[in-house]
Amino acid sequence: MKRRTVLQAGLAGAATLTLPRASRAQAPRKLSYLTWNISDQEQLFKEEFADFRKANPGVEIEWLDKKGTELPAFFQTQLAAGTPPDVVDLQGTIWVEYAANGALLDLTPYLKKEPEVAKLFNQDYLASWQYQGKNYMLPFYIAKTLLYYNKTMFKEAGLAGPPQTFDDLLGYAQKMAKGEKTGFLTLNFDWLYWPLFKMNGIELLTPDLKKAAFNTPAAASVLERLAKATDGGAINKISWTGRWVEPNGAFAGNTVGMLHAHSSSYFFVKGQGSWINESTLGVAQAPGYWATPTNHGFGISKSTKNPDLAWAFIKHLTSTQWATRFSQSRKLLTGNIAADRAGLDYLRKDDALGAQVLQTQLEHTDRFTGNWPLPFDAQLKDAFYPEIQNAVLGRKSAKAALTDAERAVNRVVSRNS
Amino acid sequence: MATASAVAYRPPRVARRRTRQAVLVWCFLAPSLAIFLLYRIVPLLWNAVLSFTQWSPLRAMRWAGLDQYEDMLHDDVFWQALWNTLIFIASAPVAIAIALGLALLVSSDIRGRDVYRTIIFISYPLMTVAVAIIWRWLFDERVGLINYVARSLHLVDRPIQFLDSFVWALPSVIVANIWQMLGFYMIILLTGLQNIPPNLYEAAAIDGASAYRRFLRITVPLLKPSLFLCIVIGMLNSFTSFDLVYVMTGGGPGRATELLVTYIYKLGFSQTRFDYAAAVTVVFFLLLVSIAWMANRLSGGNVGAVERD
Repeated sequence: MKRRTVLQAGLAGAATLTLPRASRAQAPRKLSYLTWNISDQEQLFKEEFADFRKANPGVEIEWLDKKGTELPAFFQTQLAAGTPPDVVDLQGTIWVEYAANGALLDLTPYLKKEPEVAKLFNQDYLASWQYQGKNYMLPFYIAKTLLYYNKTMFKEAGLAGPPQTFDDLLGYAQKMAKGEKTGFLTLNFDWLYWPLFKMNGIELLTPDLKKAAFNTPAAASVLERLAKATDGGAINKISWTGRWVEPNGAFAGNTVGMLHAHSSSYFFVKGQGSWINESTLGVAQAPGYWATPTNHGFGISKSTKNPDLAWAFIKHLTSTQWATRFSQSRKLLTGNIAADRAGLDYLRKDDALGAQVLQTQLEHTDRFTGNWPLPFDAQLKDAFYPEIQNAVLGRKSAKAALTDAERAVNRVVSRNS
Repeated sequence: MATASAVAYRPPRVARRRTRQAVLVWCFLAPSLAIFLLYRIVPLLWNAVLSFTQWSPLRAMRWAGLDQYEDMLHDDVFWQALWNTLIFIASAPVAIAIALGLALLVSSDIRGRDVYRTIIFISYPLMTVAVAIIWRWLFDERVGLINYVARSLHLVDRPIQFLDSFVWALPSVIVANIWQMLGFYMIILLTGLQNIPPNLYEAAAIDGASAYRRFLRITVPLLKPSLFLCIVIGMLNSFTSFDLVYVMTGGGPGRATELLVTYIYKLGFSQTRFDYAAAVTVVFFLLLVSIAWMANRLSGGNVGAVERD
């Protein structure tokens, strides 16, 4: 009996191998999907996958989520091993390096073929995933920096409304700085602090992106003023230490006048600060309406065996139906115009202040800064920011820090040219 | 001659048995050796090759000769990280000195010494990430215990931003590292102390030697292997304190707490400069080997040796 079973299994195996290739292709097609720190949406994703499988029978979706700090290293390891996922969620400008080095599929032909897909999205946000005129990603969720202000502290300091200029910003911060209280705080990772320079007309690089352009008397003056304000307590020193929990936590502590951060900070701060409501917290654009976007987008690996299927999958994930569900469940904006409208309507009923925060993310989207499409952005950040820290924390003079930063930035640019 | 050839001659059965034994030994060793080769030696060699090339997961490999090493000479961050690493290493003897004091204390006849031993040792088995988080909170400017105590005792007017200060950040991380390693050093030294025959102390006491001289002439020389073992392990630990620094400060502020090991990680996984990271790793490795070799030489080549009767 046993011998017969073995024989049957052997024959079946041999028969499978001798089947024509086309018949074997009936085997389930697989899509691997890597996301970045969004495992809390598992239930929604499962529904999305089930819906996608209904339209594409026989497709298997292998989903993997990695935490914030783990994803880049994990994805790089996959690339090195030649096993990148078919669809990947990438944050900030990290995608540019992959696009420039041929790891991501150019989505422009798909968008040209199906122009109705591009029309679904906010064009300014969609454009932030363009490198050398080609589009490499579709929006998953979007955010940009804004200015939160503590209305109670503003009132105590006799300030009517949010600052309109950089001078206002520092002046207001100074007025609110007293004892334990500080006037201003900014997040600083991923160039989130750059609007402070941009609102003073400072450029990081020359227009051809080939050389540092920031070592100017104007930049030195801005840096000196930031350093002085930091030393005097107008700017909270936590601004320059590069973490997420501490700055947001400090603002939630009700002792900081203004917080320059992106929309996700609101939900973090609200979770910690019981004082936060519509009459105590205001939201506004930063002076000059400058903002640094920090988005998540979906890209397709160039090495995918199923590019059309992967395209269909990211279209599915970013469709109005699923983007709306995602927007409502995660309380964020997706870049899909209709979905965001529906998401905002939904949020207004539940959290009017939250809706107000998200509304700022859709305004003045023509004034993005700090999102240069450079394949060596991470190296640039690492060359520039430590020198800025040196200046604002009083370790170096502004001029010396800018000169050292210029040297470091130019080295990065020339090494990558 | 006859005696020599008699010694050299092995009956076939004995030779076969020895061969069988050798095969058996190699069979037992093979899995470990294979893993060691695959996960240690091969990556080490591959890393050395990588350091002479230009490569990233996104680009094909290209021979670059000594370019990466030349880059290192002009890289301020590398020198800063190297300097910080050396300071970090230099903190190991401080930790060992404290551990020696504690070991002497808990090896004496004080009441509840077992409880003290446990309390001191308990920091060592803790996960380094947990240690880093604990100390981050202790050093916190707003809610940290250290600032609270310092302010309550009127030692400072304003809270000290330990981890955000260019002056305090590195010492703060070193304190956390010392705290974690203290228990381990203490146990090693305690074992060493307990191996010193008590009659030596008795004889010295009868001869009128003071406690200080007994410590200097008996305890220290006989503890030498344990002390050097602690030094070598301390140095190796300092070299690889990635998680502690990464969680506590991320290498900042600026580059104030950047160690070679954190810099290598950032080069590889943040900046996708695996080739340059490989070159820094080679230098890092050579430094590690030199220091370990020096420490071993200084100890007379018997670090951690077990004395046989």
